[in-house]
Amino acid sequence: MRTVTVTRPRANPRRAPALRARSRGVLLSALFLAPAVVSFVLFKYYPLLQAVYMSFFDYKVIHPPGRFVGLDNYGYLFRSTEFWNALGNTFAFFLIYFVLTFWVPIVQAILLNEVKFGNKTIRVLYLVPTAVPAVAGFLLWKWLYNPDYGLLNYLLEFVNLGPYGWLNDPAMAKWAIVLPAFFGTGMSVLIYYSAIQGVPAENVEAAKIDGAGPWRRMRSIILPSMKFVIGIQFIAFISGVFLTFDPMYIMTGGGPANSTRTLSMLVFDSSFKEFRFGVAGAISFVMFAIIALITYLQIRLSRTE
Amino acid sequence: MTATYGTIGKRTLAAFVAASLLALASACGGSGGSNDAGPSEGSASSVQPSASADGSTGESGGTVEITVWDQPTPEDPTKSLKEQLFADFDKANPNIKVTHEAMPQGTNDREVFVTAMAGGNGPDAYHMAHFPIIGDWVGQGLALDLTPYWEGYADSGQFIDSSMAAARIDGKVYGVPNDMYVTGLFWNKKLFKAAGLDPNKPPSNWDELVSMGKQLTDSAKKQYGITLLGMEWADWWFEYYVWQAGGDLTELQTDGTVKLTFTSEPAVTALQFYKDLKWKHKIVQNNVLQSYQDNMNDIYQGRAAMSNGASGSFGDFAANGLDLNDIGFAPYPVGTSGKGPGQIGGAYWILNPKSSKAKQDAAWKYVTYMVSKETKDRMLQFQSDNGIFPNLLSVRKDVDPSQFTQNVPQDLVEGVNKAASDTHLEYYLKERLTPYVVKAVQKALTDQNADPATLLQAAQDAAQKEVVDAYNASAKK
Repeated sequence: MRTVTVTRPRANPRRAPALRARSRGVLLSALFLAPAVVSFVLFKYYPLLQAVYMSFFDYKVIHPPGRFVGLDNYGYLFRSTEFWNALGNTFAFFLIYFVLTFWVPIVQAILLNEVKFGNKTIRVLYLVPTAVPAVAGFLLWKWLYNPDYGLLNYLLEFVNLGPYGWLNDPAMAKWAIVLPAFFGTGMSVLIYYSAIQGVPAENVEAAKIDGAGPWRRMRSIILPSMKFVIGIQFIAFISGVFLTFDPMYIMTGGGPANSTRTLSMLVFDSSFKEFRFGVAGAISFVMFAIIALITYLQIRLSRTE
Repeated sequence: MTATYGTIGKRTLAAFVAASLLALASACGGSGGSNDAGPSEGSASSVQPSASADGSTGESGGTVEITVWDQPTPEDPTKSLKEQLFADFDKANPNIKVTHEAMPQGTNDREVFVTAMAGGNGPDAYHMAHFPIIGDWVGQGLALDLTPYWEGYADSGQFIDSSMAAARIDGKVYGVPNDMYVTGLFWNKKLFKAAGLDPNKPPSNWDELVSMGKQLTDSAKKQYGITLLGMEWADWWFEYYVWQAGGDLTELQTDGTVKLTFTSEPAVTALQFYKDLKWKHKIVQNNVLQSYQDNMNDIYQGRAAMSNGASGSFGDFAANGLDLNDIGFAPYPVGTSGKGPGQIGGAYWILNPKSSKAKQDAAWKYVTYMVSKETKDRMLQFQSDNGIFPNLLSVRKDVDPSQFTQNVPQDLVEGVNKAASDTHLEYYLKERLTPYVVKAVQKALTDQNADPATLLQAAQDAAQKEVVDAYNASAKK
């Protein structure tokens, strides 16, 4: 009988401390990540899954979960004119926000990059309005839009325009709600500005030497370098717009004639006004699915490019 | 590089899926979470009160602690009396410890209450279950069936019938009336006088409302005849016009089902008149969608000559600078039906069905103390002594606010009594049907060419399909 002696390879005495250090690093990373992961699971995934769970019941808040109704809440949604109206409004808001606001901080950041004198002061000035509570800002705009006493109609009178109904006019209300966001881009400007700062100066200088003008430099060097940040901002923008609630709630309450009632308002109304928590859960899940789909498509598109 | 990212992505995804499943498991398992000491479950048809006639809570010797959201705010002019009332209750009931808390902050009281109850943090007794909402709250299991308590309650016959209407559901009692109000027409006598009108003669019908409204409207002064409520509660004031035209927006059938009457002749007439006030007669505010508070501000600042008013809100008028001698209050102008009923509104005390039996007994004891004749009389006396305008409408038959109104203009007292002689509850299933009615009303107020009959037909078709069919099916079960 042949005996085979297996000798266990001895650990490399030089690698042991390195392994220990690496394990410690992994452990430390996990510890640092844990609060964020736990809170994310608790405050993002748990509510989402709870909403999905609720959507299968005629949910009772005091005696949960109530009667199991299967997919009835989803069936109700797809038959409901309120849902389709709110879905249409949400997409309309998405387009209006995109047209009116998404590009503004990019342009502002590019211009800010060219400003050398007082650059820091301007950056601070961009940031200051973000300290104003959003609700106060919306209330202020609501007063500006007042057809009788609002500043906007008062100023337009000097050039023989108006008076306009602004928030009273179903055709104008959505644009009027989005307009304040056109001016409130402070934080995004700084994010884009930081991205521009990361563009290697020598690339820009080389382009200048090669005769590239400002427009060409922006198109061929600055914007491509910002693509990643723009992509991330766009994903945040999508979910931000789909989940936005405050401006519509404060400025119009969803009116006139439901023209500004969005899916997030429908969630609120279904749960706290109509006590149909199951329906609210179903709407929440549909919103999640839409946002996830658009985000996925956006990421795929970016990778393809 | 890409492969590495892909691997990490899959692992991360797997970890998140696992965590999500754990969360789902805890969601399913924890969904029955509730209050502390073990609930006396639910709609509690089986609940038997253990409160004896002398008010003992049924606990032998121990102190029962209950929480009530009725802590007065620092600026509440009746704060000192309320604190005295609390102290007197504590003294008379040493075995009950009441913790008075301010309602948590939130968008509105209804949302805060429902959220707190869902989280198992609701109060043991709550005094702001509004008349139109109590039905939905009972359906959600947010209010205890008080019938066993009510049947043994010596004062149960002292509450006026209209105050109990919304609290009786399927033959059971779920609320004890705390306060109530009746709505009617408010007018500013100063503006009437300035427009050459008799300050003591409000419009008595729709024609007079329009003719007086035109006299009171002065665009140069930004002054207008009468406020409309066109925001997300637009159905609230609009329903009054439907009543004035002789109809209602829904009919509750004897079998518990609901019939929509949006397209009935009175409802269409009312919406046409509502629309005409804006587009034809032009006697309302330009900003027809302004909030309720903006309407109130227009009243306080003398921009609105007439408005909807409530018997409980005179104190607010006075607090915002209006001289009560310059205010008038009367029943609404009658419409095509020759009637102009006021709306009865108010709020009930309800008990938490998830509280322990001992807490429910103690809370019942506290509620009956707060709605007792003695407490109500003390409040009215305090208000009279301190120049605070009282609520002129009492939920109790044996409490007469008019005895405490020496400092109140008597025509206001008479106006409230007249308005209270013909009253109406808000339309049935309002909380569910509001979006449909509001859409029609707002469209009429913002589109000059809109046809009221068409708008109401569309609203009724959608509401029937999306709300009423399902509601009626469940009502028949």
